[in-house]
Amino acid sequence: MNLIWRILGWLVGGVFIFAGLTKIVGFQPFHWLDPMEFARDIDNYKMLPWTISVGLALYLPWLEVICGLALIFRRWYSGALAILFALLLVFIGASIVAKTRGIDVSCGCFGHLSNQLSFAWHLALDFAIVAAVAALWLSDRQTYRAELAGD
Amino acid sequence: MSSLLRQTALLVGLALLPAVGQALYFRSQISWDARVSESEMVSVDQARGWGADAIWIDARPEADFERDHVPGAILLNEDRWNELLSPFLQEHWKPEKKIVVYCSAESCNLAGDVARRLREEARLPNEIRVLKGGWEEWLKTRK
Repeated sequence: MNLIWRILGWLVGGVFIFAGLTKIVGFQPFHWLDPMEFARDIDNYKMLPWTISVGLALYLPWLEVICGLALIFRRWYSGALAILFALLLVFIGASIVAKTRGIDVSCGCFGHLSNQLSFAWHLALDFAIVAAVAALWLSDRQTYRAELAGD
Repeated sequence: MSSLLRQTALLVGLALLPAVGQALYFRSQISWDARVSESEMVSVDQARGWGADAIWIDARPEADFERDHVPGAILLNEDRWNELLSPFLQEHWKPEKKIVVYCSAESCNLAGDVARRLREEARLPNEIRVLKGGWEEWLKTRK
């Protein structure tokens, strides 16, 4: 059973590392991406001032990569799960609000790779990852309680 | 609980380090003040002053263009980018002319995005500017 949780943690961690890297570097060939591209994606939601969009464009991809690594190496594991859960809820909320306001935006979740993703697929993917993060969180809590009881 | 907060704070702080590094690395390319930097914009008066030396591009949706547009402006928006770019390049583009792109108002992003695509994707060497205040501003000063 533990192995299944481990594998799920690696998968979710890998998804976030990939999602973060697609906003930081281009792969064919390898090059640093202009952070203004992701800033424009955030700005398209029309919810935040431009300056904050730029700050988030620089910061969020690295937060995703570092939390993804934390899941894979099980270091600061609970903290990483809490951050990723909160991030996902914000992404989903922002997407739904944008859609209800008639703003048709590409989520930018996986850089340019997600440009072709429809809104329904975008939401389905987000909810699947939320479910996986929530499951990992519950499993982590159970393990923590079992360890406490064992002591 | 305190362990969770400590872990969260550590991760949040750790992610700041590469982000600051990236901000420094890209400092010349990052515009913190506005999506389109001031140097990429042009006022209505200045653009009008260019007269026949400028090509005007309307980046608004086609319905808005059909309703009214700057005289002589050419429709080139992101909705039909692939379809409209080639005719524009073949029939209207001239390397020595300045290009003025506009959308509906100061707050719209379409003109900035079309201007960027003309520079980066179409690789046009022209001086490409975004009209400050867009169509709304042009209407105010229409003679």
